[in-house]
Amino acid sequence: MQKVPFVTSYLTEHFADDAYATLAGYQGRGGYQAAKKALTEMTAQAVVELMKTAGLQGRGGAGFGTGMKWSFMPKGEENPKYLVCNADESEPGSFKDRLLMERAPHQMLEGILIGAKATGASKTFVYIRGEYAAAADVLERAIAECRDAGILGANCLGSGFAHDVVLTRGAGAYICGEETGLLESLEGKKGQPRKKPPFPAQFGAFGMPTTVNNVETFSHAPHIVKNGAAWFRGFGTEKSPGTTIFGVSGLVQRPGLYELPLGTRLDEIVFEHAGGPLPGRKVKGVIPGGMSMPILPVSQLDVPMANEFLRERKTMLGTGGVMVLDDTTCMVRVGVVITYFFRDESCGQCTQCREGTGWLHKIMQRIERGAGAREDLDILLDIASKMEGQTICAFADAAAWPVQGLLRHFREDFEAHIAHGKCPFPQSFEL
Amino acid sequence: MPKITVDEIEYEVAEGRTILQALDDLGVLMNGVDVPHYCWHPKLSIDGSCRLCQVEVEGIPKLQIACNTPIADGMKVHTQSERVKNAREGVMELLLVNHPLDCPICDQAGECKLQDYAFEYGAQHSRSQEPRRAAKKRVDLGPTIVFDQERCILCRRCVRFCREVPGTGELAVFARGDHSVIETFPEMPLDNDYSMNVADICPVGALTTKDFRFKIRVWFLEDVPGVCTGCSNGCNVHLGVANNRVYRYTPRRNDAVNQTWLCDEGRLSYRRINADDRIDHAAVRNGDGNLDAAPYETALAAAAARIRSVIETKGGGAVGMLVSPHATNEDLGIARRFLAALGSTQAGFALLRGRKDELLIKEDKAANAAGARALDFGDAAPLLERVRGGAVEALIVMGQDVLAPAYPGALEALACADTLVLLDTHRSHLESLAHVVLPARVAAEKHGTLTNHAGLAQTVEPAVEPAFEARSEGEALWRLGQLLDLAGFSDPYEARTGA
Repeated sequence: MQKVPFVTSYLTEHFADDAYATLAGYQGRGGYQAAKKALTEMTAQAVVELMKTAGLQGRGGAGFGTGMKWSFMPKGEENPKYLVCNADESEPGSFKDRLLMERAPHQMLEGILIGAKATGASKTFVYIRGEYAAAADVLERAIAECRDAGILGANCLGSGFAHDVVLTRGAGAYICGEETGLLESLEGKKGQPRKKPPFPAQFGAFGMPTTVNNVETFSHAPHIVKNGAAWFRGFGTEKSPGTTIFGVSGLVQRPGLYELPLGTRLDEIVFEHAGGPLPGRKVKGVIPGGMSMPILPVSQLDVPMANEFLRERKTMLGTGGVMVLDDTTCMVRVGVVITYFFRDESCGQCTQCREGTGWLHKIMQRIERGAGAREDLDILLDIASKMEGQTICAFADAAAWPVQGLLRHFREDFEAHIAHGKCPFPQSFEL
Repeated sequence: MPKITVDEIEYEVAEGRTILQALDDLGVLMNGVDVPHYCWHPKLSIDGSCRLCQVEVEGIPKLQIACNTPIADGMKVHTQSERVKNAREGVMELLLVNHPLDCPICDQAGECKLQDYAFEYGAQHSRSQEPRRAAKKRVDLGPTIVFDQERCILCRRCVRFCREVPGTGELAVFARGDHSVIETFPEMPLDNDYSMNVADICPVGALTTKDFRFKIRVWFLEDVPGVCTGCSNGCNVHLGVANNRVYRYTPRRNDAVNQTWLCDEGRLSYRRINADDRIDHAAVRNGDGNLDAAPYETALAAAAARIRSVIETKGGGAVGMLVSPHATNEDLGIARRFLAALGSTQAGFALLRGRKDELLIKEDKAANAAGARALDFGDAAPLLERVRGGAVEALIVMGQDVLAPAYPGALEALACADTLVLLDTHRSHLESLAHVVLPARVAAEKHGTLTNHAGLAQTVEPAVEPAFEARSEGEALWRLGQLLDLAGFSDPYEARTGA
């Protein structure tokens, strides 16, 4: 049974049912009806249009329109076309995809079939985070069930459409969650993002046209095909329809996964669903969407969790990984931890990222041990600004934004370290 | 053809190129249009990682890397805007965060792109007070190259070179982030026919050649354009000259001949110029059978006297010539004229052959074999037979390719000549047979043209002057022709007219 609490909605509705992870259990609840409809009754164009009308946005962090992304794939059949399901889930604070795969593998596979119809892909590579051994086992079983039942293979669901799914396990690098870093790793190379152009839709996995979508993105697709765009738009905001699964972690009473409509207020998630701070503590700040998203202070949690609102507060939804930090937390230590992570995980190709992540971390460490100077804060922001938007992939942005967020809202923590020559938060977590 | 505007100047460019490629095609890159770059190299695949070549393209909000941005008709590019300058300064500052400040003891100083660009585009001071990355020093990568990991800026040109040019792939980037390092794989040294090119394309002092490092500071060197004479490819080189000595060859770009590369064997062939075994004085064989050193003019007169006696007794047709495929077309032209004036048809050339590959290395190990063929010099073997048979009594021999395995018994055949005049650059067994030895000049010491395997004639100019009296084969023959009163040789050598 699930170890974390969740709020039930369509993605997670049957998570409590162990049988939902099996083909029989999934089909017993209407599974693969949507795929059958897409494969037999709809044109590829109609599926793409449906996703555009529904307004499904990618749930992997960037929030790009799924229908639009699928429409980039070339028409015609000269070369094989591929889908890739990004199941690398490497963003710290994110753990929704793991449960989606462990509890509802067929929901994702059905979404993959719908995506395959839309893009004309003959094969999907599921690139799963190496540590997700249990999820990988569940998926392997589910894929085998589908092949045996004729859902995958040369004649999917009797439609004449051929599609197969191949599972590949990653070897443990954050950057392999970036779509082109993933493609390199999938091909057996070092996980380093590719320069663009060419884009994956022209030159993707093994040089073939490829579209990469996140586990959760695929998982929404069957529900949209089954219930229609208007139904989907009944959840969420006008610009950000649907639900998403917020993974709440950190210093709260009830950390866990909460499937809620996009646009649910952050304070509602933290204080109502997750039960608020631990006894006797106060919330200090919340990272709204995985570690790379800029932090918000407690005074700014009255924000609907959708990009159009979060952008006004200079942050983003990211993967929906909500990390709650309370009043014992030293934000400089948070900065040390975050910059250490990005320093360690930078692939090292681009100058700004390779050198900038290390420099940020070294300065953070120095400030934390009390050897910082006021100019260091300006240097941190300047380094971050020189990393942002200038590299092959968004990793450098992901490394720069949290530093900017911490200094935007918690500058006093940094100044206190500099003024006192040591960390003023005796109760904070140890490094 | 599409037109693009770069810094308000319109250029017509080829289809399908990126901004940096188009600027390179036009010959304006870093030669009117300054777009500094590290990872991009005209003959390697695009990497896009150093991020130094960022430019502003109108209509695109983010700065774009010029190396990988395809040109589009009507594109307007700005390479000198404030945003571009700030980005460059940022990249330079970040590259220097971990780069050691050891320019005074770094062999690359003076031809270092990090030094140059830091001066041109960087801030004048570093704001970093953090300790620099410590990494391996003086790593022995293989027989030719030494690597300093600390100085490496990870542009990965060397990695791509090994994969894409020789195809050997010895180098790779290991680890990631700011602990990334370039290394060889265990038990697999950097060892291929083109390994030393990595030192040329390394923008910093990370990769240096064992041959050249610490020999001389580069600012003392004058780069004299020349041609490598190691084989018939005719790779274009710069001869690094100081104190009337050639310290190295570096490749000189010629897209039609050698692109930007040079093979290791050819590169090291500069050593032949300063070699200890150069023939550094003229000599004449005395009555006891020993070679005595003699002034050049004396030896020349002795050669003329011996040849004159053959002409007088047997006629000009008994004088033969084994010409050198290392001589210039001008030298060989004079040889032809010399033979014509004698009325002799006894001529040929010997050629050392060897290993070849698909890239630069050619089978003919001489710079002007094609020139010799074009001047109707045939194979040496029939000539050697006639020498053996006594039809040729006096033989002028240039060069020592006749000692190659392809000419078995050559020494015995040559021993049959009554008179052997040797015009050569380096010592060999031929001296034991010669009656007169006249020191010759190597290509780096003379004017002329060399015709490569593809028929391209390339000019060479003197880069150094021999420390002893030596004359080109052509000049030696000319002066000999004058001493023999041959028709058409009356003008002074310097005022000679074409044959």
